[in-house]
Formats: sequence, structure tokens, C-alpha cells
Amino acid sequence: MASYFIRRLLLVIPTFLGITLVVFTITRLVPGGPIERIISEAQQMSATEGDSAGTSQSAANDAPLSPEQIEMLKEFYGFDKPIFISYIEWLGKVLTLDLGTSTRYYDPVWDIIKDKLPVSAYYGVVTTILTYLICIPLGVLKAIKHKSFIDSTSSIVVLIGYALPGFIVAIILFVWPAAQWDWFPLGGFISEEFEDFTAAEQIWDVIHHSILPLIAYMIGGFATMTFLMKNTLMDHLASDYIRTAIAKGLSFRSAVFKHAFRNSLIPLATHFGNNISLFLAGSFLIEKVFNIDGLGLLGFESLVERDYPIVLGVLVITSILGLLGNILSDFCVALVDPRVKFD
Amino acid sequence: MTTMKLAPLTLKKIKRFRSIKRGYYSLLIFCFMLLITIFAELWINNRALLVYYEGHVYFPTYGAMTPGNTFGLEYDYETNYRDLQKKIELEEGNNFLVMPLVPYNAFEMDLRDTEFPPFSPSWKDKHYLGTDAIGRDMVARLVYGFRVCITFSLFLLVITFAIGIALGCLMGYWGGKFDLFFQRLIEIWSSIPFLYIIMIIASIVVPNLTILVLVSVLFGWMGLTWYMRTATYKEKARDYVMAAKALGASNNRIIFYHILPNTISLIVTFVPFSVAGGISGLTALDYLGFGLPPPTPSWGELLQQGTTNLQAIWIISSTVTALVVVMVSITFIGEAVREGFDPKLHSTFE
Repeated sequence: MASYFIRRLLLVIPTFLGITLVVFTITRLVPGGPIERIISEAQQMSATEGDSAGTSQSAANDAPLSPEQIEMLKEFYGFDKPIFISYIEWLGKVLTLDLGTSTRYYDPVWDIIKDKLPVSAYYGVVTTILTYLICIPLGVLKAIKHKSFIDSTSSIVVLIGYALPGFIVAIILFVWPAAQWDWFPLGGFISEEFEDFTAAEQIWDVIHHSILPLIAYMIGGFATMTFLMKNTLMDHLASDYIRTAIAKGLSFRSAVFKHAFRNSLIPLATHFGNNISLFLAGSFLIEKVFNIDGLGLLGFESLVERDYPIVLGVLVITSILGLLGNILSDFCVALVDPRVKFD
Repeated sequence: MTTMKLAPLTLKKIKRFRSIKRGYYSLLIFCFMLLITIFAELWINNRALLVYYEGHVYFPTYGAMTPGNTFGLEYDYETNYRDLQKKIELEEGNNFLVMPLVPYNAFEMDLRDTEFPPFSPSWKDKHYLGTDAIGRDMVARLVYGFRVCITFSLFLLVITFAIGIALGCLMGYWGGKFDLFFQRLIEIWSSIPFLYIIMIIASIVVPNLTILVLVSVLFGWMGLTWYMRTATYKEKARDYVMAAKALGASNNRIIFYHILPNTISLIVTFVPFSVAGGISGLTALDYLGFGLPPPTPSWGELLQQGTTNLQAIWIISSTVTALVVVMVSITFIGEAVREGFDPKLHSTFE
């Protein structure tokens, strides 16, 4: 068993290299990187200067930077070497926990990411906890009251939530409860006057801002978890050992909670690891709708602005977490179910 | 005359599907929406359905444009049938013309001298759901946008299923190094953020439907392949495959006559969810501005307009309603297909 997990951990390395190499290569091959941006900025600058001076120096506008200056820029951003060599250099830096410098803000990428991590982590952790807290009891209730009124109505509600992609739900919540009815703030993580609030007000402020995004985050995984809980519990309830337990005189209640319930939690454990990547990566679509300043939105904006060091930095964090999450899923299964043997 | 004969097992599955009312009615609704969008030209169009002019009958809906001077107008570009209607009404002759229910197409902007778009819903102007931010009719945008969405999803569906079934089946059947290689590839490939790649690509070339479908296939074939691999793997270990092999059946025969019929019935249950995934994927891309270029009618673009023009609430409310109806009906169909084709019969505690 230990050897299985060591092997899985070692397999993370080639996968990680594969992912980063693909994205690194693409960012290099695509035009519109930082150098093109600086050239066009310089062009604009010399154009406006030319206008304000009132002189027509069109010859100078065509080439605002000399070839030597462009060479220096390439060297500064590391574009002067072949892709593979600069990938190795980038990788070497990543191993020393140096993710490079943003080409937009000129701050270390890690510092920028570190700023956004708490927001994303908050949503990830709370979403996971709430999903489990609501889905498990709901699943149990639906299993015990199978085919009752509660079961069928909650099924419809859960299925509708499942049908809609998270960002559509986010848009619906943004447009009506927040914008039209003014019940909730229009996005963001905290209010502008956050610093001046008392502690209680601060807590309420965070909760008030996060109710709608949390619903949007939760809605996707909600149906899967609820139905998983319901179906496994029903399978267990129909099995022989429960019948035996009740025949021996155990009440239905304790048969459900002491025997069937515990066994039904096993499949839920397999889903736990999948949430890890959601912890931090989140959904940038939801973050974009609610303008939450998290990791997802950072990755998206950097991509739009072609700030590739940040894009790669976000990718490093999210892909490592995703890969570890898969292993953690297996580990959870092994932890809750001693019968599971990996080899 | 031959009648199509279905295997009794398939008939039973279809019967079971029909017995689930929620899914069955959703399927009817969905087919109705498909019909509406396929024949959209007949009821949402700026060309007339029928023109009777000076003893001649014209059907301008499909086919080449009819120049204005055919109907006694002073120009030789395409007739503006709404103006022609007004003119014919004024003349009070025998001529007449029949306009579609919504006399606008998805691209033309309704320009007015006195006010600026977006215009609110109005029966008088025949903008039954209003117009979008630059004055294009909402009904037309929604219906033609649905056509684009569905086309995208169906192409995506066919290609990913072809790849998934073929590759997954081979991985499960051959196993060994072939399987291992694609397992690694799938793991790496599914960890690459698909939206990143498509956004990077969209920043170099203006994406069209083909490019978007291809890129989506490139990053969307893994899920089904993986499922198909597992299913084939399971079937291969069953006794009947062993028996067929012992009888001397070739690999081809085992795959096409034994394994595929048994696995495909499971794969069918993924079809509706795959269509839903295609629709939401394209909508998300369009919403972010990395999808099909304007002026293609698109639901994602309408969502974007709606969230930035909150004072024109009809834009966002009709788009969201359309999306909810489509997505929910597809999910209900999918749920019923799954019940029908791959039933998990629960024995309940008594």
C-alpha cells in the first residue's frame, strides 16, 4: 500500500512536467507577448509626443526602439533563448520556489499569488464544508423517505441546480437578488469601508458578500453528492446485514445510523480529493461574475493581458493541487475502507 | 416494403424511457425547440413569406434576394419588405404580402430617429422580447443563437463520441503499453486548463465554428474515452467474451458483435449531458468574448450584454429563461435516458 502511494506520488512529476511544458510552449509561440506590448506602447508614446510637439517625425515613429534595445528586452524577459532551454531555466527557478516576475506589475509572481490565495481558499473550504453538511443529511432523508413527496420535490430542485452551469447560476443571482432587489452587495469580497467596521460588522460583511457566490459554487457538486449519498445508503439499507441487524431487534433508526450510514460514506470520500483543486483554482467564471479578487480571476486577467509568468505561476499551483487531490481521493478511500487494497 | 425492426431489448428500453413522464415531455419540448430553430426563416425573418404583386406570386424566404425594383421600388438592392408592406397598404390595390410573425432577422439593427436602443418589448413594433443593446430583435437573436449553439454541440458530440468509442475500446481491449501510454496522455491532457488554451488561440486567430469545435474536441475527448476504456475492460473479462474467443471468433467479431453492443447502450446515456456541456461551453466562451466573432447571434454574448445593461432587464431575463428551459429539459431527458437504458433498480428496505 505504501509503495502504491509512493509510485503515485512519483508519477505526479512527469505529469506535472508535461502540463507545464505544453502551456509554456504555447505561451512562447503565441504573438503578443510583453515585447510586442512594449514596442506598441513606445510607438504610441512617440506618436503622442510627436503630436504635442507639432512636428512630423513619421520616420522615427516607425521604429521607436532600436534593434539593440529590442535585443536587450528579449534578454530581460528571457526570450533570447530557444524554448526548451528557457523552459529548463524556468523550471529550475520554480524548484527554488521562484515563479519569476510579472511582466505587468514587475512584482514577484509568488507575492501576487499569495495575496489572492486567502480569498480563493476561503471560498473553496467553505464550499466543501457546506456541500458535505447539506448533502449528507439531505441524501439520508431522501433515502429513508424514498418516493415520498419530499424526495421527489427535492429531486427536481437538485436536478435543476445540476442542469445549470455554475456561472449561469452566478449571473442569475447577480442580476436579481443583488442588482435588481438590492439584497446583496454587487460582488467583491469585502466592502470598501471594511477597515472601519467593528469585528462583528466585519464578519457580517464577509458573509453578506459571500452568500451568493457560495450558492453558485455549491450548485454544481450538490446533485452528484446528494444522489450518491441517497443511492449508496439505499443499497446498504436493502442488504442482508441490515435485515439481520433489525431481525436481532435493533431499531430501524440505529440500524440506519450505526451500520448503513457509516458504510455509505465511503463513496463520498472518493470525491473529497476532487474538491482540493476547487479550493484554490475556483471557477474564474464565477469569480468574474461577482468580481471576486481570487486566483481564478487573476489567472484570467493575466491571460487577457498576456502576463505569462503569472499564468504559468497560477498553472503550477493549480495543477500540483489537482494532481495531489487525485491521490488524496484514493488515500481517503483507503482510510475509510480497510478492505480497499491498492497495488 | 420493409419495416425497421428493433431488438426487443431496445424496444423495452424505449418503452421504459417513455414511461418516465418528466423526461418524455422534456424530449417533446426540446424537439419542438429544434423545429422552431431549424425552420426559423419561416417565422423570424425580414423577408416576406409571400408577395402577390401585379399578378405574380413571390416566395422570397429561401433563395436569392429579390431586388426592390421588381416591386416598383426605386432601388435594385434587396427589397425592404417592411417598407413594401406599408407601400402596398397605402396603394390599396389587389397586391398583398404576408410577413413572418417576427419581421426582423438576427443581424439588422432597428434604427430610429428619436430614441436609442435597447428598445423594450413592444407588440406594436413586433419586438416581442425587445431588442438588444444595439437594436437587434431579441427573439431573432435567441432563436438563431440557439441554432448556432446546437450545431456546435452536435458536431462536438459526433466527433468526441467517434474518438471516445474507438480509442477507449482499443485501450480497453488491447491493454498493455498502448493503454498505459494513453492513460498518461489523458492524465496530462485533462490537467491542462482548456479555457486557457482556447483563450490563447482566440487571441491569435479569429475563431470560427470549425476551429472552436476542433479545439473543444482536442480537449474534450478524454472523459468519454476513459469511460469507454473501463467499460470495455469490464466486458472483456466476462465469460461470454472468453466463450466467443474459445469458439475461434476473430478480434473484429468480438469487438463489433459482442463488446460494442453491450458498451454502447451505456454510452448512449452520456449523449444528452454531452449536448448540455457543449451548449454551456460555447455560452461561457461567448460570454467571455473568446467565442464566435460578432455579429454571430450567441447566447453568451447576450448574457454579457444583459449583465452590462441591467436597466434593459428584458435582455438578461429572456436569455436566462431560454438557457434555463433548454438546460433543464436536456437534463431531464438525460435522466430519463439513463433510467431507461441503464437502470439502477433499487431494492428497497421493507
